[in-house]
Amino acid sequence: MASPTQASDFDPYMTAILANRVDGIIREMTNTLLRAARSGVINSARDFSCSICTGDNRLLASAEGLPIHIFGSHMQARTMTDNAGAGLREGDCYLHNDPYTGNSHAGDHTFLVPVFVDGEHLFTTVAKAHQADIGNSLPTTYMAGARDQYEEGALIFPAVKIQSGYEMVDDVVRMCRSRIRVPDQWYGDFLAGIGSARIGERRLKELCAKYGTATIKSFIEHWMHYAEQRMAAAIQALPAATLTNTGNHDPFGDLLPDGIPLKASLTIDPADGYIDVDLRDNVDNVPCGFNQSAACASASVMAGIFNSIRADVPRNSGSFSRIRIHIRQGSVCGGPVFPASCSLATTNVSDRMVNLVQAAFAQIGDGWGLAEGGIGMGAGCAVVSGRDPRLDGTPFVNQLFLTNSGGPASAVADGWVTYGLPVAAGLMYRDSVEIDELKHPIDVQYVRLITGTGGAGRFRGAPSMETGYVARCPRMEVIWPCDGTHFPPQGACGGHAGAQADHRLVRADGSVEALPNIVVLALDEGDRVEGWQTGGGGYGNPFERDPKRVLHDVLEGWETTERAREVYGVALTGAVDDETLAIDAAATAHLRRAAA
Amino acid sequence: MGYKISVDTGGTFTDVVVSDAAGGLTIGKALTTPARIFDGMRDAIAAAAEQIGLSFPRLLADADFLIYGTTRATNAVVTKTVAKTAFLTTRGFPDTLVLKEGGKFRPHDFSQAYPEPYIPRRYVFEIDERVNAAGAVARPLDREQVRRTLATVRARGFEAVAVCFLWSVLNPAHEDAVAALIEEHLPGVPYSLSSRLIPIMREYRRASATAIDASLKPLMQRHLQELETDLKAAGYRGDIFVSTAAGGCNSIAALVERPIFTIGSGPAMAPVAGITYSRMEGLGENVIICDTGGTTFDVGVVRDGALTFNRDTWLGPRYTGDLLGIAAVDMRSIGAGGGSIAWLDDGGLMHVGPQSAGAVPGPACYGRGGAQPTVSDAAAVLGYFDPAYFLGGRMTLDVAAARAAMRGLAEALGLSIEVTAWRILTLAGDLMMRAVADVTINEGINPRDSTIVAGGGAAGMNIMLIAKELGCDHVVLPKTASALSAAGMQYADIVAEEVGSLYSLSDRFDFERVNALLERLEARVLAMRDTVPGQAGAVELEFYGEARYQAQVWELDTPFPDTRLASRRFAGQADLNAYVQNFHDLHERIFAVKDPGSAVETVSWKVRLVVKLDAPVTRKVAAAESATPPVASYRPCFFGDNEPVQTPIYKASDLSAGHAIAGPAVIEEPNTTLVVYPGMSALVSAAGHYRLNIH
Repeated sequence: MASPTQASDFDPYMTAILANRVDGIIREMTNTLLRAARSGVINSARDFSCSICTGDNRLLASAEGLPIHIFGSHMQARTMTDNAGAGLREGDCYLHNDPYTGNSHAGDHTFLVPVFVDGEHLFTTVAKAHQADIGNSLPTTYMAGARDQYEEGALIFPAVKIQSGYEMVDDVVRMCRSRIRVPDQWYGDFLAGIGSARIGERRLKELCAKYGTATIKSFIEHWMHYAEQRMAAAIQALPAATLTNTGNHDPFGDLLPDGIPLKASLTIDPADGYIDVDLRDNVDNVPCGFNQSAACASASVMAGIFNSIRADVPRNSGSFSRIRIHIRQGSVCGGPVFPASCSLATTNVSDRMVNLVQAAFAQIGDGWGLAEGGIGMGAGCAVVSGRDPRLDGTPFVNQLFLTNSGGPASAVADGWVTYGLPVAAGLMYRDSVEIDELKHPIDVQYVRLITGTGGAGRFRGAPSMETGYVARCPRMEVIWPCDGTHFPPQGACGGHAGAQADHRLVRADGSVEALPNIVVLALDEGDRVEGWQTGGGGYGNPFERDPKRVLHDVLEGWETTERAREVYGVALTGAVDDETLAIDAAATAHLRRAAA
Repeated sequence: MGYKISVDTGGTFTDVVVSDAAGGLTIGKALTTPARIFDGMRDAIAAAAEQIGLSFPRLLADADFLIYGTTRATNAVVTKTVAKTAFLTTRGFPDTLVLKEGGKFRPHDFSQAYPEPYIPRRYVFEIDERVNAAGAVARPLDREQVRRTLATVRARGFEAVAVCFLWSVLNPAHEDAVAALIEEHLPGVPYSLSSRLIPIMREYRRASATAIDASLKPLMQRHLQELETDLKAAGYRGDIFVSTAAGGCNSIAALVERPIFTIGSGPAMAPVAGITYSRMEGLGENVIICDTGGTTFDVGVVRDGALTFNRDTWLGPRYTGDLLGIAAVDMRSIGAGGGSIAWLDDGGLMHVGPQSAGAVPGPACYGRGGAQPTVSDAAAVLGYFDPAYFLGGRMTLDVAAARAAMRGLAEALGLSIEVTAWRILTLAGDLMMRAVADVTINEGINPRDSTIVAGGGAAGMNIMLIAKELGCDHVVLPKTASALSAAGMQYADIVAEEVGSLYSLSDRFDFERVNALLERLEARVLAMRDTVPGQAGAVELEFYGEARYQAQVWELDTPFPDTRLASRRFAGQADLNAYVQNFHDLHERIFAVKDPGSAVETVSWKVRLVVKLDAPVTRKVAAAESATPPVASYRPCFFGDNEPVQTPIYKASDLSAGHAIAGPAVIEEPNTTLVVYPGMSALVSAAGHYRLNIH
């Protein structure tokens, strides 16, 4: 067996201390970015991640990072070192958002600071933040309909120097200010991103000064090795198997009338402690924004696997080395050929890919893997823009985070209610209705969970959420790329699918229009959009759900009495309102026997 | 002035500190008696009385002040024994308490159930009303529907009502109208309004605070009134104050009105002790307070003499617990203490905690069946504790059990038991150091410029190692270290706070409206002063804005220029400029960047009232007659090597002001043990505290 052995000089104590320090540094970077940023997508929704790479461009640590952001910052760091060559200097900072050289999608601006210790490039600190706007041709960072990267229209920065000798390269700032909507908001985020990476730099230098570069260098190797060993051990606990799973992204108008069929094959090799993931058998690049970047294809597969194994393996190049991902150049799954658009790379196909992989593990048998998680960013997650009449027509642009899709059930727990998306897995924050109404000229009508929309199962998927809001400005652009309207998230091991997404436009005169899944709209004052995103899939046969849980579901409005009877085979008596609701044990036994 | 008694009822122990007219402080401890808090309080006061040489009734009769800190509310929330509470919300927004603000830890862990909301969904009632973001009524309140709802509330036997409507911070008319209807239709049923309790933006924060507050009202009203009755029956005739999370104390009446402020009020007193002791020792206005207990390590900071506050205090875990929302003294807690368990994961990496041996069975060295190696066991193995004099002789230490518990780990590490123990102790110290860094370095505070004041029964074990790691030169272990919160109450003032929400941009500042709001807030806190029992001392008002750059969403508590003036308004542009400059400086300190070109927006304004209470005078202890204190005994102790060092042991009772003790040494106080590591030293100060020198 090729199980890795611990290096002979591994120090369980010093490695623990230094890992704790590195973790603290990323926490401090994260805190800085969250609290200093200007746009809601960063400071309210926490759509960003910080990480630290080694000087030789391996990912060392990514504590607290979003699942879709965990993979790729080392590729971006490599782009930086390749471009700069010997010209890389202390005091440099680089901006990177190029999906072709390691970034997730153009909407994520990544700040890279090379950390020098005694003249040696020892680390790169990385702060990656989803922007409110990047200067695309439409006011959104998700350009579903873009034919290619040119039609997206964003400024692309393949590791472009934005600071030299700790001083700003003002040319780049001027370029961005001339192109990106609401430039002051962008500039505030830009400062916050640099501040975050710089704080990481300062702390890493202090760490090296305190412990000595030699100790830190051996820590890097130990930590990589440790993570790899933990991953190998986790894989060794799995049965040998080849798991193939397929799925489908929703259709998109005439461009993708059948949607995007997706496939992943996993070969688990517990003897050697590797998992091979084959994504090659997928369709070619699509002529719109749905292509996965290499970083997102890898990150979504990694996330699906981490979801299906032990939860506490460190996420770095050490553990990742045990997962071998095979990508075909030209494929929609991670093989974009320039100038194919990867505008939606962090969400749509990636969300499906996380689901595909985690649900594939359920094929091993009941107890393994997860159901599919709720997908799709609908009205509650739209990018809205326009001019705010309350502020003398000042322009605004931002992504809302009013609603979530429901989390998947596992073999031991119901779905997480504020899950969001598979690629975010509950890490992101939600907007406050009041803050959203303050920042954007909208009146929110409601935000609520919908009874009976979580996929039924022995464990239940989390329910759908709905919202509706009215534009209070003369013209408000509303753009969202919602998946799950046609193909809802599936259950696993006999669990049911979650609810499908659905959206409507209600004009000021009261007329109602059904909306497609992918929406680019201009609202007039008084118009309202409304609808809901998907619920999470259930896990296991609903008739095996503990009747006490079903009772609680009905008491708390997660489920209806009717669904309790019909879907779960649990008969109830009494009423919620007078607190007399109770299980009718005999009738329940009868219902469940009849179904067996 | 007679005696002043402060009481901190913790989960396990009730700590009492009694101060006398000469400034002498006496500590009494007893087990907490949850069934009737007064019993444990009486035992603890009696323990102190005995040391003073008085009877319990005599001491109580001779006392003028009693300050009570309680975990009653916290326990009720944790054990879910609060009142059955109805939550009234704006139609369309029933799930505010379910959804919270999102976020979670461990993104790949799908084994945890989503938390139940603080108030069950079936106790939530949507009310037909809406105020919009401009504060205008978008949908009038349907009073008839409210009446019907209140009839249901009565019929279903609810004991309290929480009301939180959207934008009530801008226009509280609908909440006020519901209050009037509750008074009319549900007389005697306590209720809380979000616009009165916590007028800040963000509906979840308001909703959570209001729900918690209302749900505590019936029981805290009973509890505090019962206590008052018991104290009077026992012969106490002085004034009673209750400590609050706002970092001071207030009358029983004030806390019955806002019981949420009793949550976390014990730990909130530790920084009050911290700044007092730092000043007493002439060590300045910047203090880090570290309180090490059996299961948690609490840390807070005092900056420029002012307590620090935070609205992000969670009851239970962050994200999944319940947010307090109120501006509470910022004490952060990590799961590391004497009971934290050391272990190796399957990758061979060493960990300490977060699992704890707790109070039962406790660490192996307690000899009550604990079999896993804990931090206290490590200290026992290293020889730091006197087996016969552990916890002031209240417990016999089982060193053999501690060694046995450590053996497996030592073998796995390939190290001696003593070196393993040293690593456990220092790794625990490192976690604690990191917790300190989170509240200092992350907030732009350099720990090197601060004084550490250490407290808690386990503080003396490794505080000097933590200080060394942080680079702190000034460390104080006060004589009252084992009852730091109760000691803090001795020095607490009466504080009350009024917050008003008014969105104000610095580049279009409405001086008139802001000043009018400050006028109202000031009038409200001054009215509160008039209700304070007993003599009211000097009054200070402090003024703050909760401010941020335009489009940011997280505020910084920004002091006004000359914030401690008796009364403060924005007289003109110069005042505003100075205030804005304070914000830029604060932002740069904390986030390493500032944006002087950006407007600053203030979302709420705060006036804080401080009524000075008489604090104990600073006692001077007798100076040492000789420079070298007597050594009580010697014990072999380990400091990281395989070989022990013969270490002098000192008894606190043998030490006097001016005594200097060079490490390695161990000083045994009745309730804590101070380890002076090799190369470090301790000095007994004129006030009787330990001044620790790291370098």
